[in-house]
Order: sequence, then structure tokens, then C-alpha cells
Amino acid sequence: MSMSDWNIVTRSMRSRLFSSVVTVLSVAIAVGLVTLLVSMRNAGENSFKRGTGNVQMLISKEPGPLPSVLNSMFYAEAPGNPIAWAEFLELKRSYPFAWAVPTQLGDSYQDAPVMSTDASFFESFQPAQGVEWALVSGRHFGAPFEIVLGSDAASRLGLGLGDTVALEHGAPRTQGGHTHDEFSFEVVGILGATGTAHDRAMFTSLESSWILHAHDRRESIFGHGIVTTIDDLIDEDMKITAVYASLGERKAALVQVLSALRRDPDWTVANPSDTVGGLFSIVSNIDQVLLAMAIAVMLSSGVSILLALYNSMEQRRKQIAVIRVLGASRKRVFGMVLTESAIIGLLGGVVGIVLAIFCGMLVTSVLAQRVGIVVEPALPLDGYLFIVLASVALSCVAGAIPAVVAYRTSVVRALRPSM
Amino acid sequence: MYLPSEKPRNLKGLSQNISRTKHDQTRFPAHKPKNSHGSTIPLIVSEPQPHNALQISGLVHRYAAGQTPVIQIPELAVRTGQQLVLTGSSGSGKSTLLHLVAGLMDPAEGSVRIDGTDIHALHGHARDRFRGRAIGMVFQTHHLLHGFSAEENVMAALMFSDIPRGSHRARARTLLDTLGIPTPTQRVEKLSVGQQQRVAIARALACDPVLVLADEPTASLDPENADVALDLLQQACRSSGAALLCVTHDRRFIDRFDRAEHLNAPHEQLQAALEGA
Repeated sequence: MSMSDWNIVTRSMRSRLFSSVVTVLSVAIAVGLVTLLVSMRNAGENSFKRGTGNVQMLISKEPGPLPSVLNSMFYAEAPGNPIAWAEFLELKRSYPFAWAVPTQLGDSYQDAPVMSTDASFFESFQPAQGVEWALVSGRHFGAPFEIVLGSDAASRLGLGLGDTVALEHGAPRTQGGHTHDEFSFEVVGILGATGTAHDRAMFTSLESSWILHAHDRRESIFGHGIVTTIDDLIDEDMKITAVYASLGERKAALVQVLSALRRDPDWTVANPSDTVGGLFSIVSNIDQVLLAMAIAVMLSSGVSILLALYNSMEQRRKQIAVIRVLGASRKRVFGMVLTESAIIGLLGGVVGIVLAIFCGMLVTSVLAQRVGIVVEPALPLDGYLFIVLASVALSCVAGAIPAVVAYRTSVVRALRPSM
Repeated sequence: MYLPSEKPRNLKGLSQNISRTKHDQTRFPAHKPKNSHGSTIPLIVSEPQPHNALQISGLVHRYAAGQTPVIQIPELAVRTGQQLVLTGSSGSGKSTLLHLVAGLMDPAEGSVRIDGTDIHALHGHARDRFRGRAIGMVFQTHHLLHGFSAEENVMAALMFSDIPRGSHRARARTLLDTLGIPTPTQRVEKLSVGQQQRVAIARALACDPVLVLADEPTASLDPENADVALDLLQQACRSSGAALLCVTHDRRFIDRFDRAEHLNAPHEQLQAALEGA
């Protein structure tokens, strides 16, 4: 193989291996940080939106759409204002819903929230668009005091089919909640993972939950030692906290129903996907600060390229002068230094993206294990390509000053024997 | 002021040079510096010929406009294949002259033709390419590319030539073999000083130049190695047909060359002028 500009550039980088590697690493860290930040932001939003599934409307009596979505779909806290069962039935009659699933939150087992609902929860509601509920083992709940576990709840609590649990009143980690020791729930099914907040919840029938609360009410009247069954339920016990609803493909109807419900002061209605989007637009301020910091890191890595190449110019003046004497034009020498910066940018970009993907995978597995949320910190291919190109472009800008120094190197002065 | 007080002895073609010098002094009176502080060289000899490897005419160089010239050469020619040594004390402008000839500096006046081409009429890329192909340079401190092997150093010169890339390595190896470098793949910094100088000679001759410029090629070598290196340089130039312009402050070698000239430093000229007054 004959000698080429490429040989000279790569050999020059190898001869300053330490400096070259450190510079590439500094670019890689900056690129990695920016990539991770951008992809995590996308992933966070996507993951949240994923958790809203095919629900077009979340109807509740919460103070606003955001707490309603956070509490009733992401299990943040127990929702406050209950909806009477009769009100739910009236609501269902009043609007042309394709489906409306009643849900009630308020109990928990250890740190797993318990969602009380009916069979339509598993039939109509999809936890993520196009994702149907699947049972890993057992069956859905039927009779009272049967409970089904989300995949994450099952693995974290170490529960299996046939195990029994006593629920606590209140959302997980609620101070002062009491345990409903009188009723034990039997695990009858374990759900497959959906990659949403629902994976860390437990599911039982509305009647089961109502009986627990009817028992509390009755104990306060009749004292301890009584037995409460489904027949003891009165209207006061039969409450839910939110309705998951959809009008299917009828978009025009959806707009009408949404605006009608929004006008009704009794109801709080949220379009979960929009609400999550709105939440992220609030968070995006912080996000922009982080992005600005990442860009600052990127710029400082640009400066490190500049310094590394500029300092190397002192050592390389003689080499540049010799190449000029051999017949290289100023432009060609300029190009060689710029090529070197571009290589640093390219290597830094690629290594940075690999770093970001690796860290992303780590974060994903930690989030999936701890929170049960599937975050996929991936950018589309052209996103990665853009980041690499941006890294190369930034490196070239940083390399321009040393390249000009190379361009202007005085051959005569550089070749003068040193004193 | 001119050569006579320092006439080299046993110099081939000396009488001819002197006679031509006199002839040229009358031919180009305008170039004769009067009370000048600039370096001058005896006016030489050859008629401008289309095939002279080097033809300098009316060359004047100043460090800054309006200053006294540091180099002033009315006429100097080196024929194809001829070997000329240019002596002069430190500061006489020998290296500057080589830089002017190589087109690394621009003169205030005059022209430098290499194989008939005025190198200073070429600009930028064209001049660099021309230099790469027509001129080979050997330096006192070799100026090899460290981190590269001996053959890569020679191939680096070939990079800028029109010689087909496929033949570069074979050509470099042949040259290095001829010059007694048995390990062409060894990095140059691992070679002895003498071997490094051979690699530098091979590099200078790689592109079949018409003119080789050697700037104190023996200064960093011990006397024995200096002899060998100079032998090799001269032999290599002879074999390739390249003319050789060698500048040195060491007058021991002048009788090896076809011709020898002396370049006076400005202070020497001033002294000569005062003594003559």
C-alpha cells in the first residue's frame, strides 16, 4: 500500500495516542450524555403515553385532569372524590360510549396498589395501544375475594397461585391505614407484563372492595365480630373512583362528549394522552436546562479538541513543513488537520452513542425492575445519524483553528535548525 | 568583495569560472553591487540554456522592502547533472538561497528557473506540486517523518508525484536498497544518524528530480560518515541524472564537486569594502 493523506493523519493520531484517546473520550461522553438525554426524554413520554392505552376519556371527580390521570392510571395516590355507582350507571346511559370501565382505587397490599374493577377491564381496556391482557397463569377474578396480580407485583411480592393476602386500606405507603384482616384474598391469576404501571398493581372485583368498606361501616355501627357479605351492601358502599371510557373510532362524537362533560361541573374529564403530553411540556423546562447543560458539555469537548490539536501543532510544525517541502499544498495540509478532527468527532460520536445505548439499557432494566415501567430509550436511526454528523461537524469547527495554524505554518521557519 | 581572496584550490573548472566571472561582470554591470551590504556570488558562467537544471537571473532578496539585499546573484546556472557546491560562512544566506530556489520564499527581484520553469511564477498548489516533482531536498537534520518507517518516508515523497501508486513501495525499497538500508520497514527514529541521512537522500531522489538541493548534508555526521553520506548523495544524483546544489560551510569537500562557489556574508562584504577603501 502506498502512502496517503489518510496514513499520515492516522499515524499522526497514533503517535499521540494518549491525547487522541482522551479527546475522543471527552467527545464520546458529551455525545453520550446528549443522546441519553434526548432518547430518555422521548422514552419517558412514550412510556407514559403507552400506559394510557386505548382510553380516550378518563372520567372522575378529581380536582383536575392531571391528578386524575396520575392517580387512576399511574397509581400515584388514592383518588379522592368517589363516584356513586348509580352516577356511573347514569353516565353510561347518557353518553354513547363504546365501552366504559368502572375502576376503584383505595386499597393496597404492601407496596402494590389494588385496582377494583369488573371483567370489562380485561376485555375492553388495552393497557397499551394494541396490547391485549394476557394471563401467564390461572384465570381472571370471578367470585369476591379473588385477586389477580400484575406481573411485576407477582414477582416482587413473591406470590403465586393459591396464596392468600389481606389488603390494607389506603394507597401504598399510606400512614395510618388499617389492614382488613377479616377478609383474605386468594391469588387466582397472574398477568403477563404489559410494560405499564398496571404491572405493579393487583386486580380484584368491585364487589370485593365494596364488601371491605361495608364491613368497616357496619363495624362502626354493630361493633366487632360481625360478618359482612355482598347482601349487606347499600348504595353508600357502592362507589368507584374513575371511569376508563372510549367512543371507539367515532372521533366526531368524542369531541362532542368531551366538551359536554367538560361543561358539566360534576365531572372531571381527561384525555390521558393529551394530559401526559401536557405534563411533559411542563417538565420540558427542566429538560431544556439539562439539554443546555449537555450542549455545554458538547461545546467544552469541542474546546478540548481545539486544544488537543492546537497543542499538537507545536510538535507538528516540522512534520507539516516537511510534507510541504515534499509537495503538499497548504490546502492539503489544512485538509489533513481537518480530517483528524473529523475522525475524532466520528469516533467520539459512535462511541458516545454506544455508551448512551449501553447506559440506556442499564436504566431500562433498573426502571423495569424497580418501577415496572418499560422505557425504551431508543432514537430512530436517523436520530443517531444526525447526532454523529453533528459531532463530526462540531469537531470540524473546533479543528478549523488548528487547521488554519497548519495552513499558515511557515516552512522556512519550521525547518530552521533549532538552536 | 568577490571570490578571489577565497578562491578554492584544486577546484574543477576553476579557471573557466574566473574567466566567466570576469566576463559576466562586464556583461551585467547593473547587478554588481556598489558599496552593497548584500551577499553576492561571482557571476557565473553558463549562458542561459533551456535545459539548465537551475538558472538564476538577477536574484535579489531582502528581509523587508527597502532594506539592503541579503542575497544578490546576478547570474547562476547549474547544468543538468552538474554538481555545484556553494560555500559560505554562517549568515551568508546559503539556506535562504536554497529556500528561494525551492520556492519556499519569494525573492524581491529576479527569477529562478528549474528545468526552464520559473518557480516563482507558479502559485499555491501548482508551485507545491512542481517542487515535489522537480526538486529533492536533503537537510542537515534530515527532517524525516518520525513514527514512519524508512520506506514510508520515501513513499511520502512519492505521494505528491505522478508516479503510479502501485509502484511506490517497490521504488522506495529499490532506492533504499541501493543506499544500503537493509531494513526499510524499520521506523526512522530507530536508525543510526548515518542511516537516517541515507533515507533522506533516498527521499530526495524518489521522484526523479532534476535538481537536488542539499543544505549542510554532512553537518550532523562525524567525518567518516560525512564522507560516506556525501559519496552516496553525489553518486545517487549522478545515477539519476539530477543536478546537485549543495551548500556547506565546510570547505573540505569542495574538490569533490564539478564546481564550487562562495557566498559572502554581508559583514564580510562590508569588511572587504573597507579594506579596499
